[in-house]
Amino acid sequence: MSPLLIVVLRVLAAVGLLLLNGVVLIYMLRKVLGRLHLRLGPTELGPAGMFQTMADVVKLLTKEDATPGSVDRVLYFLAPAIVFVPSLAAYAAIPFSNKIVAADLDMGLLFTFAILSLMPLGIFAAGWASYNKWSLLGSMRSIAQQVSYEVPLLLAALPPVMIAGSMNLGDIVRAQHGSVWFIIPCLPAFVFFLIAGLIESNQTPFDLSEAESELVAGFATEYSSMKFGLLFLSEFSNVFIFAALMVTLFLGGWSLPFVDPGLLAGIGAPIIFLVKTYLVIFVFMWIRGTLPRVRIDQLLAIGWKFLLPATLLWIVITGVAIKTGQGLFGGGS
Amino acid sequence: MTDPRHLAGHAGWLTPNPPHQVDFVPTSLTRAPTGVDTFDTERMVLNMGPQHPSTHGVLRLLIEMDGEEVVAAEAVAGYLHRGIEKLAEHRRYNAVGTLMDRGDYMSGIHNELAFALAAEKLMEVEVPRRAQWLRVLMSEINRIASHLVWYGTFGLDTGAMGQFLYAVRDREVLLDILEDVTGQRMMFNYVRPGGVVADITTSAVDKIQAFLATIDMYLDEHDALLGGNEIFQARTRGIGVLDKETATAFGLTGANLRASGLGFDVRRDRPYAAYDEMRFSVPVAEEGDCYARYLVRMGELRQAVAMVRQCIDGLPEGEHTAKVAKVLRPPAGEAYAAVESPRGELGVHLVSDGTEHPYRMRYRPPALYALQAAEAILPGTMIADVVVILGSVDVVLGEIDR
Amino acid sequence: MRPDTATVDRFLSHAGVSDVEIDSASMLGVVCRVAPAQTKQMLCALKGEGDGFDFLVDLFGIDTGEAVDVVYHLRSFSRDEEIYVKVALPYGADLASVWEIHPAALMPERECAEMFGLTLSGHPNPKHLLLTKGSRPALLKSERIRTAEEVRDR
Repeated sequence: MSPLLIVVLRVLAAVGLLLLNGVVLIYMLRKVLGRLHLRLGPTELGPAGMFQTMADVVKLLTKEDATPGSVDRVLYFLAPAIVFVPSLAAYAAIPFSNKIVAADLDMGLLFTFAILSLMPLGIFAAGWASYNKWSLLGSMRSIAQQVSYEVPLLLAALPPVMIAGSMNLGDIVRAQHGSVWFIIPCLPAFVFFLIAGLIESNQTPFDLSEAESELVAGFATEYSSMKFGLLFLSEFSNVFIFAALMVTLFLGGWSLPFVDPGLLAGIGAPIIFLVKTYLVIFVFMWIRGTLPRVRIDQLLAIGWKFLLPATLLWIVITGVAIKTGQGLFGGGS
Repeated sequence: MTDPRHLAGHAGWLTPNPPHQVDFVPTSLTRAPTGVDTFDTERMVLNMGPQHPSTHGVLRLLIEMDGEEVVAAEAVAGYLHRGIEKLAEHRRYNAVGTLMDRGDYMSGIHNELAFALAAEKLMEVEVPRRAQWLRVLMSEINRIASHLVWYGTFGLDTGAMGQFLYAVRDREVLLDILEDVTGQRMMFNYVRPGGVVADITTSAVDKIQAFLATIDMYLDEHDALLGGNEIFQARTRGIGVLDKETATAFGLTGANLRASGLGFDVRRDRPYAAYDEMRFSVPVAEEGDCYARYLVRMGELRQAVAMVRQCIDGLPEGEHTAKVAKVLRPPAGEAYAAVESPRGELGVHLVSDGTEHPYRMRYRPPALYALQAAEAILPGTMIADVVVILGSVDVVLGEIDR
Repeated sequence: MRPDTATVDRFLSHAGVSDVEIDSASMLGVVCRVAPAQTKQMLCALKGEGDGFDFLVDLFGIDTGEAVDVVYHLRSFSRDEEIYVKVALPYGADLASVWEIHPAALMPERECAEMFGLTLSGHPNPKHLLLTKGSRPALLKSERIRTAEEVRDR
């Protein structure tokens, strides 16, 4: 087998797994929301309705791909790709275990954020190209909220970086092996990151760009068939990435407390990582099933008036604590 | 509307008449519209409905917007017009109830009751006491069901999803009870001039007892789930303020009026059926905002539960209907009867010319008045507030359009 | 509930409205009948200064066979009394808007005008409310509806 073929096969396998991940997440959302709402969720297709989402993917693929007459065709077709590709590329730097990481970058955290900041571009393109007022409003909101929350998001991720002394996501996890999970010394930062992550991934109570009770379906209003499917999948992929980042930065990544990392080599580590990530996603969905939605001006006010100063303050506190008590958190440099 | 250009979308669809702009400035604008226009921005006219998830049926709103802020708004009704008032002129008195049901489809018992009361006033019929109590019982059960739907959809309007299904769970029990007694889940045709059409069944009494055993707990749960939520309060407090003057000027009634500080309740101040024998209080709030309307309706739910309890405990013995002729021919005259429907004062103004058909039947739709009050306070709010305000005044389009 | 005639007289004489036919024997309550030109003056007089009939319960029309009776149903919360004002308008006449006195009349007036074939004047938005533009005035007695038999045998 030629090396090129192997590379192609690996890429295909990886993309396939990532798509499968999205499909599983959608199934999970339906089940979790169903239970929260005193319903059953899908039950018919397969055991416990497990194949319902696969059937939906097939449905979306075979549906008529209706394009409204007055759209900006180039952007309209490009937008789902602009949204979807970064949501896949962001998986690259996330360490599923000590070895399983697509790109072990020294600037892994920065890379992930940089890739994710491409998403508003795609959402805006979708809203603009659709030639629909609801889409436009949704995408405008999306720009406002994602741009203003990238700053607190990155700042909230800094305390673990400062303690670990590295931006390599693998190193951050390894730093937590030796000491405690960073959620304990950085609990406020974890909460800030959770809020900013919910906003960045468009989850309730901050799902303003597609607020269905106000904007019908927001930026995705005019999309149908698999183009809608891509927008939909990328949302779930985003949720996964933010949950994975949270697990990596604050919840010890693939490690478990009081367990020798050596024991977890091989298949154990990625499973632990996935279980933790899915638990965080469950919390996301729990919030989604319960809370009302905030208004756009309230959302921006939270970001600029509370979250930004609070994260900055916490960075200062962390810095002072590291300097005054060198070695207090084990991995301090 | 100085500059009717459009940022995006088809510019041609706006009707030649400019959006409804009233010189009357309501005294309760939450924010003055921003006048800052230092760089060249354009306003956008948004067509909300009739197919929109949050317009509670087939309401259409034309909203002129400056960014996210509403500059002018017009409510367009009539998509559900069935001509109930005209049809009633061609029906016998006993058959009008089926039409009334289809007015405000969330509270059929109240609509029928309003018509029956007006007809009874004209005929001067003595309605048996048991029938009056049954009317109160069914009215209050219907009120709980209607308010639960309002509670659920109001939550949906603010973006919460879960509590809607919790409310529908409780409503399902009530619809079962109503079905047991009346034979129908929504279009009852239960209250007729002279009494009610059927006595309560023993199975329905059992169901009501079972419902009463749990509802207090569930109401606490509902209240905690939505009303106790910080985000919900941030979305509703100080939003859509209708002060007392605006509320009375626009003819608001019912819970909307009581949330603005005027405690007028038809059940207490113009007692009908057996309400003069009931013990209940009338919740009133002063603020007039969406949260006050929420509080008043939640208080009403508890009062309604209390009244259902009283009715079940003290239901008098006797006939469930008076002896009335098969074909009613009330003497010529005019009568107005009003009931406190979940949406406010639902009045029926009945004109009889002595024949078997009503000469004129006017259906006073409380939701119509609520809609025009809401329309008047929309300018100055944000698009997200629009759906919350509309949800808080509880409009039902079946009633507005008739 | 039902105001006594003296109260009504006091309101009317205070504002200088005359030629009012007051019928307090009706089953409905106190019904005042005025000429179309005097409607606004009448409503203003009854509205009083803070203690009058300042709440418009309802506004609608009745086709009496000779004219369209427009009924203004008013209420005073402070006095807890109700009163009706009736104005007989010839068919196709002009319905002068009273929204400046009672903003609650905005939508009911539109409905009344379209349902009885009246023209609406002085209204900020005199469009149809419920019927499609160009529809026939549905509530006039001259407008027939098809009977069940006619619909069935269509």
